[in-house]
Amino acid sequence: MSAAWTVFIKELRDALRDRRTLLMVVLSSVAIGPVILFALSALISSMEERAESREIWAAGMEHAPTLRNYLERQTLVIKAAPADYERQLIDRRFGDAVMVLPSSFEAELAAGDRPAVELVSSSANNRAAGSLRRLQRVLAGFNQEIALLRLTHRGVAPAVLEAVRSEERDLADPRARAAQLTGMLPFFVMMAVLYGALHAALDTTAGERERGSLEPLLMTPPSRYALVWGKWGAVACVGMLIAVLSCCSFLPAQWLLRSETLAAMFQYGLREAALFLALLVPLAAMLSALMMAVAIRCKTFKEAQANNTLVILGVSLLPLVSLFNQEGEQAWHLWTPALAQMTLMGRVLKGEAFSAPDLLLPLAVAGLVTVACLAYVAHQLKSAALR
Amino acid sequence: MIEVQQLAKRFEQGRGRGRRVVEAVRGLGFTARDGCITGLLGPNGAGKTTSLRIVAALIVPDAGSVKVDGIDVAERPQAALARMGVLSDARGLYPRLTARENIVYYGRLHGMARAAAHARADTLAAMLEMTALLDRRTEGFSQGERMKTALARALVHDPPNIILDEPTNGLDVLATRGLRAALRRLRDEHGKCIVFSTHIMQEVERLCDHVVVVAHGRSVADGTVAELLQRTGQNDFEESFVQLAFDAASGPAVSR
Repeated sequence: MSAAWTVFIKELRDALRDRRTLLMVVLSSVAIGPVILFALSALISSMEERAESREIWAAGMEHAPTLRNYLERQTLVIKAAPADYERQLIDRRFGDAVMVLPSSFEAELAAGDRPAVELVSSSANNRAAGSLRRLQRVLAGFNQEIALLRLTHRGVAPAVLEAVRSEERDLADPRARAAQLTGMLPFFVMMAVLYGALHAALDTTAGERERGSLEPLLMTPPSRYALVWGKWGAVACVGMLIAVLSCCSFLPAQWLLRSETLAAMFQYGLREAALFLALLVPLAAMLSALMMAVAIRCKTFKEAQANNTLVILGVSLLPLVSLFNQEGEQAWHLWTPALAQMTLMGRVLKGEAFSAPDLLLPLAVAGLVTVACLAYVAHQLKSAALR
Repeated sequence: MIEVQQLAKRFEQGRGRGRRVVEAVRGLGFTARDGCITGLLGPNGAGKTTSLRIVAALIVPDAGSVKVDGIDVAERPQAALARMGVLSDARGLYPRLTARENIVYYGRLHGMARAAAHARADTLAAMLEMTALLDRRTEGFSQGERMKTALARALVHDPPNIILDEPTNGLDVLATRGLRAALRRLRDEHGKCIVFSTHIMQEVERLCDHVVVVAHGRSVADGTVAELLQRTGQNDFEESFVQLAFDAASGPAVSR
């Protein structure tokens, strides 16, 4: 045991001395939370601004006093569109759809001729396309008012036009709604842990072999299991450090949230951070062992890196299962490493309750895979030193 | 004291039709006494490295036995390794650790206390004339500096038996002389049993008390340099070696 501890301390010191690699990994893992949340909040608040905007851009409003009257009663501010609005919309320099009114609008309206109102936007221009719906709603309101007036004028009840009333009821609570947007956060955290442990995992196995220090190491009295145990401990520690850093980075990141809606919906406190860690720490342990097992057969650091792409690919593709799978969560999702953690972290963000077995199952799977991988590394260690 | 008897080891290389069996060692034996430098002299591919790896418990032999101070390596490898300091062909250091940390790490792995390992590193550094290097990171060390650090690392637990596999490879004249001086002191002042393999004649002539000539995986002759010269009737040790290693050997070591 003391030999494993010696190896652990040495490998940890070695990994922590690799300042440049460590700095990159730590920076990216710590920055990930704030950056993603900041981008999300900027997106949402700009969407909110646009949705609540009381401005309407129009061309030829002088031809439509009745419509202007309606809009002004809705406290909307009418603005004249710039002359080259078409060009600007195409170039995405202008972010609002434009209402274009024909010169004959008023006369046709009076005659009941259904004047055509053009709503100009570009579907390639996301911002403008978003405001198009608002213009449609405003026009629908105007249509309804005119129709109502005309019907009442003729003594017809407005209910004739509306056989059925529709009322919407949204069952999602704010956190569940926010989870649609924040659902990718667990993925980034998981990748941070993976990349954090990658370098140390390769350095202690294939790196040691390439350097020619594995053979002398095996000629010391400690058992191979003690060596592997110590090495894995150090690698897993680095992975767990990254997990802690990236989980905690979301706590201060909340202060950066510009959108009040998102801030209200994205509730990430100490409880959530603790649950994230409870899921990520075993995952870090397992991924470290897995990457070491893949790397031990490789002669060089480079070869090990290439082989570990498979692990990275697996971890990044597995969570997609829940995206593609339309049938919702399946029982086997919790049996699959990475996918289980992703699913459960998603539940944490949605504020859904989950029981202890839900946490213990992925933990047990991770434990088993870790032990299997470490046994394999210990088994391969001697032949690896000689090849 | 190291006693090697009738060692044999075959390796299989390749697969399918390209598969062939290489008999790296076949019936090698020698005895290395305490207070004596024993040289394994042989051409490239004679089986020196494989034999030394078997002695260091890295490879399990197909036949034969190795005893280190009476301890059978195959039966109790851990105990045998504790009595051996091995400087193998692979002598990689950890570049981000200092020379002292490299040495102390191995001391700790051999079960030494931290203070004792540090003290031993200082002693070895003084003996190998590398005190100035001790607290520098090994990144950027020259070949000679690396070799000294690796040797100090192998000797950290003060083993009675020292095994060196081609230790002078890649060293310049001064570094080689330094190494020779260190080995002599280890023999004369500490009474160590030293075994080293080489293919360089001068090394053996200048340093070895006892020479084992290895060819095609077996020991073909042994004795002092003078005895070998006398036996072959030569004045020049190189001629004597060529005669022993190449003429006496029978058949190639490779069989299909």
